[in-house]
Amino acid sequence: MNTLYKSIFFLLVSCASMLSSAEVAVIISSANSNASIASGDITKIFLGKTKKFPDGSQAVPIDQDDGTPARDAFNEKVLGKSASQLKSYWSRLIFTGKGTPPKQSGSDADVKALIASNPNMIGYIDASAVDGSVKVVHKF
Amino acid sequence: MKRLALSACIAASVAAPLTFADDDLRINGFLSVGASMADSDDANFTGSDNQGGFKNDNVLGLQVSKQINDTTSATGQLVSRGADDYSTEAAWAFVTYAATDDLDLRMGRLRIPFFYYSDFLEVGYAYNWVRPPEEVYRIPFSSVDGIDLTQRFSSGSVDGSVQFYYGRYNGDFNYGGFTYDADFRNFTGITLNTNMGNFGSRLSYHQAELIINNPPATSPLAQIGALGGADFQMTGQTTSFVEAALTYDNGTSSVVAEWTQLDYGTAAFLNDSAWLVAYAHRLGDMSLHATYTEQKDEYESGLNGAIQKAAGLGVEESSIILGMRWDYDSSTALKFEAQYNDETMYAGVDGDSAMLYSIAVDVIF
Repeated sequence: MNTLYKSIFFLLVSCASMLSSAEVAVIISSANSNASIASGDITKIFLGKTKKFPDGSQAVPIDQDDGTPARDAFNEKVLGKSASQLKSYWSRLIFTGKGTPPKQSGSDADVKALIASNPNMIGYIDASAVDGSVKVVHKF
Repeated sequence: MKRLALSACIAASVAAPLTFADDDLRINGFLSVGASMADSDDANFTGSDNQGGFKNDNVLGLQVSKQINDTTSATGQLVSRGADDYSTEAAWAFVTYAATDDLDLRMGRLRIPFFYYSDFLEVGYAYNWVRPPEEVYRIPFSSVDGIDLTQRFSSGSVDGSVQFYYGRYNGDFNYGGFTYDADFRNFTGITLNTNMGNFGSRLSYHQAELIINNPPATSPLAQIGALGGADFQMTGQTTSFVEAALTYDNGTSSVVAEWTQLDYGTAAFLNDSAWLVAYAHRLGDMSLHATYTEQKDEYESGLNGAIQKAAGLGVEESSIILGMRWDYDSSTALKFEAQYNDETMYAGVDGDSAMLYSIAVDVIF
């Protein structure tokens, strides 16, 4: 391997490790009484299998826009599905009137603002964007 | 360039309200286009032969749904099928009332939940094949007018739903190359779906009283109806259908196995059973899949069976399907497929085999 390829290779490797080291936090409003939420419950909420938080209050999942780093990480690590698999999953529900995917609401800042002001919503943002307006219930 | 960008912005801002104008109004759609070619006419394929088929796999669907209030919503889905000369039909048109978080009542035109893939039968994007295998997916109509209720349940790692429906189907019924005017009365059925981790199962039972008046004079039904007597009547005898499916999907590998049995209450149509096993392997945006499927008509014993055979009824066939799906974009799939179809028997006599090659593009929006 010549030096140029070698350096490109290392650049790619370090980029990849930087990407995967970014931590994502699942957040709810600080006014929401749930303390922490298990990964399995988060999955159920985001796949439309339940409309409630573990404490019984109404849960409204909020997605980031397609292709944001936080969304890709959330899909892969929490839901365990690729973007195409999720699209296929929802297409099976949308066209039977049995469910609709979570609303897409921008990126970190938009989702944080939305969730801070609504105790029924749940979303995810890059851990570095978390502040006192929201509560972290899960990190990965 | 600036002007172009500006007009793109305007176009985007004008287009956006169409989809998002009202938070509670949703417009979705799907489009499949396909082409197929058989290597010979030794076997029979719906909508294709050795001169190619460019119409049968084309389907356009548009769905509009509106959340009316917290508990009530309306959904309509119009489907235009190349196989029907693009005549447009309401595949679904119903109002849903959510009685509780887990209980939905629906009324209107509904998809009959015969099969594992029934709910999204025409949404090509939702499965790997170009079309569900005809051996198993052989019932020539798919919607019923009536009511249904769906109860969802969840307990620990198991979740699922029970669906019950009741209604009537009045319309065309294609069998053995003839179209009959059918009336399926007291159409009812129950479906049980369960999921646990990567595993899923589905069981369903359906029945209806089938009435066919004035069959086409040249049809076997008209001819043997006169000949065969009481066993061949179609004046409300109960027809039933049973289905069972098992699924597994770990994200990389998936398996679907489905078995079905159809029993007519009359000797004028043949009882049959059919099943399939499909395996798919996902490699990123690429999926490779393989399917084996077979269908077998059953003659009745004695004289009735001899009449059935003489009337040119009876099909026994199997297929091996190998295919590839490429998720070209997160809402577009490109598919290639090769099917080896072996007709042991066709129209009551020995059949032959042939290959069918298909290509399709499936989009959802």
